[in-house]
Amino acid sequence: MAQNESLSQELFLSSSPHIASKVAARNLMTNVLIALAPATVFGVLIYGIPALLNILVSIVAAVAGESLFRCITKQDIRAKDLSAVVTGLLLALVLPPTTPLWMTALGAVFAVVVAKEFFGGLGANVFNPALIGRAFLLMSFPASIATWARPLGFGTTLTDAVTGPTPLGIFKLSGGLPGVGADFVAAGLAKTPDYWTTIKTLFIGIHGGTTGESSILLILVGAIFLLATKTIDWRAPLTMIVSACILSLILGMDPLFSIFSGGLIFGAFFMATDYVSAPLTAKGKLIFGCGAGIIAVLIRVFGNYPEGVSYGILIMNAATPFLNRFLQKKYGFVPKKKPAPAGGAQGGTK
Amino acid sequence: MAVSTFKRGLLLPTRKHATEGTPVELAPLPKQVVIPINQHFGAPNKCLVNVGDHVRRGQKIADAAAPGPMTVPVHASISGVVKKIEPRTQSNNTEGICVTIEADPDAAGGEEFLPPLDPFTCTKEEALARIREAGITGMGGAAFPCHVKLNPPPNKPIDFIIADGAECEPYLTTDEAVLTEKPNMLILGLTIVMKITGVKKAIIGMEDNKEKLIPMIEREIRLNEQAASVGEISIGLCKTRYPQGGEKLLITALTGREVPSGGLPMDAGCIVQNVGTLVAIAEAFTLGKPLVDRDLTVSGGACKMPKNIRAPIGTLLTDLPPVFMEVDYDKLKKILFGGPMMGNAVPNLNIPIQKNTSGIILLTAAETVAELEGPCIRCGRCIRNCSARLSPVIMNMALEAGDLDEAVAAGLMDCIECGSCTFMCPARIKLVQRFRIGKQRLRIRQQAQQAAQAAKAAAAQPAPAKT
Repeated sequence: MAQNESLSQELFLSSSPHIASKVAARNLMTNVLIALAPATVFGVLIYGIPALLNILVSIVAAVAGESLFRCITKQDIRAKDLSAVVTGLLLALVLPPTTPLWMTALGAVFAVVVAKEFFGGLGANVFNPALIGRAFLLMSFPASIATWARPLGFGTTLTDAVTGPTPLGIFKLSGGLPGVGADFVAAGLAKTPDYWTTIKTLFIGIHGGTTGESSILLILVGAIFLLATKTIDWRAPLTMIVSACILSLILGMDPLFSIFSGGLIFGAFFMATDYVSAPLTAKGKLIFGCGAGIIAVLIRVFGNYPEGVSYGILIMNAATPFLNRFLQKKYGFVPKKKPAPAGGAQGGTK
Repeated sequence: MAVSTFKRGLLLPTRKHATEGTPVELAPLPKQVVIPINQHFGAPNKCLVNVGDHVRRGQKIADAAAPGPMTVPVHASISGVVKKIEPRTQSNNTEGICVTIEADPDAAGGEEFLPPLDPFTCTKEEALARIREAGITGMGGAAFPCHVKLNPPPNKPIDFIIADGAECEPYLTTDEAVLTEKPNMLILGLTIVMKITGVKKAIIGMEDNKEKLIPMIEREIRLNEQAASVGEISIGLCKTRYPQGGEKLLITALTGREVPSGGLPMDAGCIVQNVGTLVAIAEAFTLGKPLVDRDLTVSGGACKMPKNIRAPIGTLLTDLPPVFMEVDYDKLKKILFGGPMMGNAVPNLNIPIQKNTSGIILLTAAETVAELEGPCIRCGRCIRNCSARLSPVIMNMALEAGDLDEAVAAGLMDCIECGSCTFMCPARIKLVQRFRIGKQRLRIRQQAQQAAQAAKAAAAQPAPAKT
């Protein structure tokens, strides 16, 4: 008896369930980091030291910015959950490797503090922080952010980097695939103007662009990892790519080129699947992806600059609370019959 | 054999290996038992004995305080002297009146069981009265009075009797033990229920990890003389998947039907009975035995000798001899009555075994969760795994915002509280706990609304009377 009473002090009392899966929030963030690793390593290999520095600065600035803000506002520091690391890495990957380091740092701090912590921190932000960081830099310093480094290989430094337009930029300027092929040669991006070689180049990723978005192949490797570990849901990325494809076809663009150039694939798998700013429900995710794909293509075609994916996702982020209302059909759902509203109400109250 | 299932749900670690396939061991009669007088879902009972009374095993010690269908009596589980009648903590962590009976070694006592009754010649009313008198409630956990379930209103035609042997909770193995050791009593119980209700089809639902038991059970069905005359008994194999043993999902898996929102299994034409309950029904007729014992699993990392035991209702774990229940106090971090997904954590070991106690699980720190809640990262895992296809995260957000209507729209009142969402939550948010509180809040609001309406109606009525 005495033993029992002393024991009760150490016993846990809590509501069921009393066991939980081993997957904690931190594991999910780790999964995203693992998935991003191939694209990150590739970016550093082809763009060299500037890309590496950009990534490091972005991560450090994001973590430091978040921790400092939480410290000042007297909240516990949450660097351990890795969400700031993910934001920092994502931001660096969607910026050109030539971005001046102070700009990257500013963007990262803006992303975590203004886009995330001002809204209440992890889980409460309305917009994708990394994309907000990128949009902020693009608004503030359009010249630097829309300048893309040519791939030069690891070992080059910032001063050696030569800038050239991204494939999508060329497309935007020349207006047609034959022109793109010619411009590829002119820009030194591809050796031959052949269509499939162009697509292959885009798929493998040795061309100008942002640090992480260039190699579709490696992004897909990461995406498959995320899908296999059930870290992300297939709905939003799939509908985003499919809708972008279909709309490109309707608007007379080459759909393959449309999805392989620019950040569409990267955005679909790593930005549109952001837990916090994307819809929660299955139906909401389908509509979200669809909308983001359509807006991305529309901005690419009719907008002023080839910057569709970021804005497509950010605009759909704003629609997320609304999209969350598209709930799935509940178990045992019975459509309410109009002649007997009293009976239906009674059934609901039980 | 075709394996049926429902959508979504979880693959849980079963953790049943410690007691799987082990026989049910009969615990010796303890020196005292503590019997709560209310052990069913429904109207409260009144105590029928006084301190100092001599009672015999099987004697009724509590019964309905007022006439009504939703009560079942409680019986003394050992012979002895009533020592105390006092409020004590029960396994659901509420206080209730309990009768403490001390075993009397001198008085030979004996048992006071009911006379056996032939279920196939008696009337339906006699049979239902017998089930009630034997104090039988659902033994799967909800403790719903059995005779009420077996007497559905005439406007709800029943097509299927389902024997629930899908023991989806980790650790627990008593249903499996019933299927292994007493398939004859189970089939008999099933035929009695079919006879009473007049239903021609019965399905024994079990998970596919018990597939090897099928030939034996099929043989027992053939051996039962009554089985063919009352109808057709079949075996339904389901995927091992949580919460397969939840009655709604078992119905869906076996019949493809869904219990309508806010409804009961009878609205889908089904009656679901736990296999242990069916055995108790069979015993109430053949032996006249009231529900005074139950089989349960004692297991968990802090339990030195996990096993399936049969103990009198009201037994305290601490009164069991060490060979039956040796606790590793150094490791013990949580005591559960029931399984880890839906059972209750209790503050100490001085809690009596009840009619609906399917197991007592002693968890170590490593087996349970002791992490603090983090912020919701809105990963949607709770939605992806909800077997009732609800949106737990949206329900939770709505509850935090105080918007009960939005929570109901997302499925609050359809939550079966299986705990899948909370199990999967990477932020360790206690979703189910909040939904229980949310349901309470909604009930309070509804009561207030009804009271307001009644007051309005009362105020409005005298006016036309005057004119």
